[in-house]
Amino acid sequence: MARPAPSPVYTLRGAGAPLNTLHFRCPAGDTPLLFSGSAKGAIHMWDLNSRRAEQVVEAHCGNSVIWLSTLRSGETLISQGRDMQVCLWDLKDGRSEVVDSVWTGSVGFCQCSVLETSPSNFLLAFAGPQTEEIKIVEMPGKNPVCSLVPDAQLGMVMCVQLWKPDSGLGPLLFAGYEDGSLLLWDVTQRSELSRVKAHPEPVMCLTFDPRRLRGVSGSCEKKLSSWMLDSQNNIQLQDCVMLVNPGVSQLRVRDDGRLLASAGWDHRVRVFGWKKLRPLAVLQYHTDMVLSVAFSDHQDPRQRLLAAGSKDQRISLWSIYNQGPDTV
Amino acid sequence: KLASNVQRKFAAAAGAVVAQSLRTLSSSADHADKIEALKTLNSFLDDAAESGATSAAEREEFRRAHYSRTLRVGVGLLQADWMSAAQRSQLVEPLFLKGPPDQALLALMEAVSQLSPSAGLDRLVSVTESFLQSGRLADLLWSSCLQSGLPGSPQLDEALLARLTALPDITANKLRLGNRPLFAPQRYYPLLASEMLAALERTCQALRDGTDCSVAFVAQTLGKVCVQGHSGPVLAVMAPRLAVCTRSDALWQRVCWKLLQNVPERWLEGVLTGLVQAVKSPEAFSRIVGNLALTNKKAQFVLTHKVLLLQYSYETQVLRTVLGHLASDRERRPLLVQVCAARQAFWCSERCTAKTDCNLKISYIFLKLVYLIRLSLVLFTIDLLIKQTSIMTVLPRPGQVSRYFSRFPINSFCPANRILRLFCCRPSDDDLTPYDMSGDQETGQASPPRYLRDCLETLMSSEDSERVELSLRVAESLVRRNVFAAKEISVQMTKVLLHMEDKYSISGFLALRQAAMVALAVTDSVPVTQYLTAEFYSLNYSLRQRLDILEVLALAAQELSTPFADKTSPSAAAPELTSYPATDPAHWRQVVEKRIQSKTRRISKGSTHRGTKAAPNRYAPAAGYFFFPLLRNYDKPEVTFDLLGSDHLVLGRLIHTLGLFMHLAVNAPVLFMHLFLFCLMVRRGVLFAVCAVFLSMPSQSLLVDLGEQLFETRTWLSGKNQIKCITTEEEKKNTIFTKN
Repeated sequence: MARPAPSPVYTLRGAGAPLNTLHFRCPAGDTPLLFSGSAKGAIHMWDLNSRRAEQVVEAHCGNSVIWLSTLRSGETLISQGRDMQVCLWDLKDGRSEVVDSVWTGSVGFCQCSVLETSPSNFLLAFAGPQTEEIKIVEMPGKNPVCSLVPDAQLGMVMCVQLWKPDSGLGPLLFAGYEDGSLLLWDVTQRSELSRVKAHPEPVMCLTFDPRRLRGVSGSCEKKLSSWMLDSQNNIQLQDCVMLVNPGVSQLRVRDDGRLLASAGWDHRVRVFGWKKLRPLAVLQYHTDMVLSVAFSDHQDPRQRLLAAGSKDQRISLWSIYNQGPDTV
Repeated sequence: KLASNVQRKFAAAAGAVVAQSLRTLSSSADHADKIEALKTLNSFLDDAAESGATSAAEREEFRRAHYSRTLRVGVGLLQADWMSAAQRSQLVEPLFLKGPPDQALLALMEAVSQLSPSAGLDRLVSVTESFLQSGRLADLLWSSCLQSGLPGSPQLDEALLARLTALPDITANKLRLGNRPLFAPQRYYPLLASEMLAALERTCQALRDGTDCSVAFVAQTLGKVCVQGHSGPVLAVMAPRLAVCTRSDALWQRVCWKLLQNVPERWLEGVLTGLVQAVKSPEAFSRIVGNLALTNKKAQFVLTHKVLLLQYSYETQVLRTVLGHLASDRERRPLLVQVCAARQAFWCSERCTAKTDCNLKISYIFLKLVYLIRLSLVLFTIDLLIKQTSIMTVLPRPGQVSRYFSRFPINSFCPANRILRLFCCRPSDDDLTPYDMSGDQETGQASPPRYLRDCLETLMSSEDSERVELSLRVAESLVRRNVFAAKEISVQMTKVLLHMEDKYSISGFLALRQAAMVALAVTDSVPVTQYLTAEFYSLNYSLRQRLDILEVLALAAQELSTPFADKTSPSAAAPELTSYPATDPAHWRQVVEKRIQSKTRRISKGSTHRGTKAAPNRYAPAAGYFFFPLLRNYDKPEVTFDLLGSDHLVLGRLIHTLGLFMHLAVNAPVLFMHLFLFCLMVRRGVLFAVCAVFLSMPSQSLLVDLGEQLFETRTWLSGKNQIKCITTEEEKKNTIFTKN
């Protein structure tokens, strides 16, 4: 007998605008935080112990915040807004001030991707001013690394993900385009390694698990497309997962590689087993499109949370599949 | 039998040809003859040339019996000076690169160690280099995998293995400073590792296709290389790839296990210690090694004693990997408990002092482990730990524990949950129990509005495309069903619909909007038509909207003028609802009447069908509201709308619509008194429109495209001339009327 559908552990209200992006920072021995970026340019830092907004920062001149991330050190927050700026914030000692910013020149909704190459340096990939262009800069020096433009017309860049393979090759980049194509770029060679047409519609989101060399992408249709990278770095499409309702805003794989979560346009978050993409749960709470999902990075697996941010201006937090198999 | 005879014949023929060629090469003085002989020999190795001089059986025979002789001759030819470099690369080198790779490698290595430094040796080394670069090592290893059933000669294997693993030493001894970079250990061993991976990959593929393979030789190569101290570079290449491959592929996992099982015991330690250092995580290590520690005593000793207890040189990560490996599987956990017990016994013994136990890190891990095992008795029900309760008797004394703890701050190293996680093994998806997902229905079934006011509200202000679409789809039926409600908001709703834009690309948007507006105009004719006709001449409308107005008016007029065909008319429905048998005194009469009727047989029934029921013409009272206001301002140009100027498209439609109104008003008494006047008006309008067409079109295209219409117009106009006199008389009246 199936267990009844889960309910949220708690919800966070009061952001006052649709929540485009979520990011956890839960270091051991420190207050666990959840960052959220709203369509009105506010960045909320929610304290997960008190469940209140610890700090609210007005960013990007009131333009929508579309992406947030922190560096591993936890003291730098990166935010991307629709004012075509990516800002770096200093969070040390409770401060929150912009220390640097990068102009992207892209009017689209493509979220950035960050890859830390060393404790002090990181690569930042974002859509550039031209339609199909992806730019990569090395931070904090803002040195341009390369600009990747495909030789065919694929439409706007919709989503990117930087990663570094174990095999010692330079960083690689997955990019989804408006015409549904999925490309793998070699950043150091500036060459296209592989291309597949994963969807008939624009690729709305993708996520790639470098440890399993598997990824999944979503579009505005009723299916998720899963794919794999073979030893020659070719993207191989695998079977897809059918959804009940069309449209996916975001996909995330939990750090332990067991769960995949999708943010649906049908107001629901879906949870799948990552290994076989078996549907496990449908999280229903929101009354409008879910725009973002995030898994927390708690050290203790039992504290891990799943957060979903929606157009209905709320964030819901869920505790799901957190126990070891012996206790479930 | 015949086949074997034929084969023997082929073999004999091939043998003769080869012998002849070799003889020519060794004894003839004529270079052309020698080249020809070389070409013959090459043809035996060329698999691609199917149509060539040699058959498959001949080639097989050549490889089996004559290849080693040919190679010896080839070595000789490399030293000879009479050939050009091109001839050598075309005719001699392929002899080494295309035949069976094991024999070729042996011949090359033998020649390298025997020759003295010379140009011939240089050429030989170059051939060896291209042998390595063209992936022949993978072919060599792969061919050894395929010979699983055949009893190979152990001496040959031994020799091959020695050459394969010691190639850098052989070349370095011989060439000294002139050694090639490819033969340096830091390049050769990674190459060998990737060739081993390639052979394993082909093995997996072959197993999938159902071919038997053996990885014994690859395992021996791996073991020998590792025991010679090259495990670092080799496993740095192999371990990450194996970790990835085994993650998703059970067959790869089996091949890895088989590979490690086949490593000879004397070499196993090198492989395991190398592997444990090369992999990044306990999970990867477990996938590659499997339960080797349970089946192989040597492996068990290496993993549980040597790495954990005896050798102190390893990084902490290595210890974590081994402990994680042992803890992650139910069957391996007894080993972990044994290790812990051994360590505890050591601590509790009198010999234990801080100095003897020099790797304090590992002690720390063990202390934590022991604590966690105790804890796990509470947290997890690991049956095995309960069985092994003897461990409880050898726990360290509390003072000892606190001494260790005080020496190492907890945060500095190995957080508790890391080890805790060791106990939670990595299961597959199957261990995740799904929640109830029956609530996951299609969301398309958002309910359409039930009330007209809700519908209007949605159309006015909602941003939700689905709800707007649903509202628009039900708008017409809601209006027609709720006449009274519709009359209250008819004008407002008409206004909303008129200004509505197709923001969400709703399919059939125009038709739906039109139907709803027509329904409103029919339901509440007077106010709606007043509104629409007034808006027709007002400022801020597009041509499309003005044309919409005309269309809606025309359709509404048409509907109003047709007889009201409502099946559920009140007169028909009322008796059924109100008649109640007991209270109706005439009821029995009707029943009797019916019975009589049914029994009576009539020759001719006549017409029982009553024909269309007479109904008042609904158009008649409203016709004026449709017609007159549209006439009012046609000659008054606005900034945005000049009917007599640039917007003659609308004018044409207007005239058409007016004509339609006239036609539909055929039975309307109200219009009779103005009939003549209107006929006149319409004619004038038409005349004007015709003139507008004539004026605006270029004359040549007018004749070409509209010739037929032109002719028609002419006959029509000639008929009109006869009543022109009346027209002029009535003109005065007309102007008065239009001003009103």
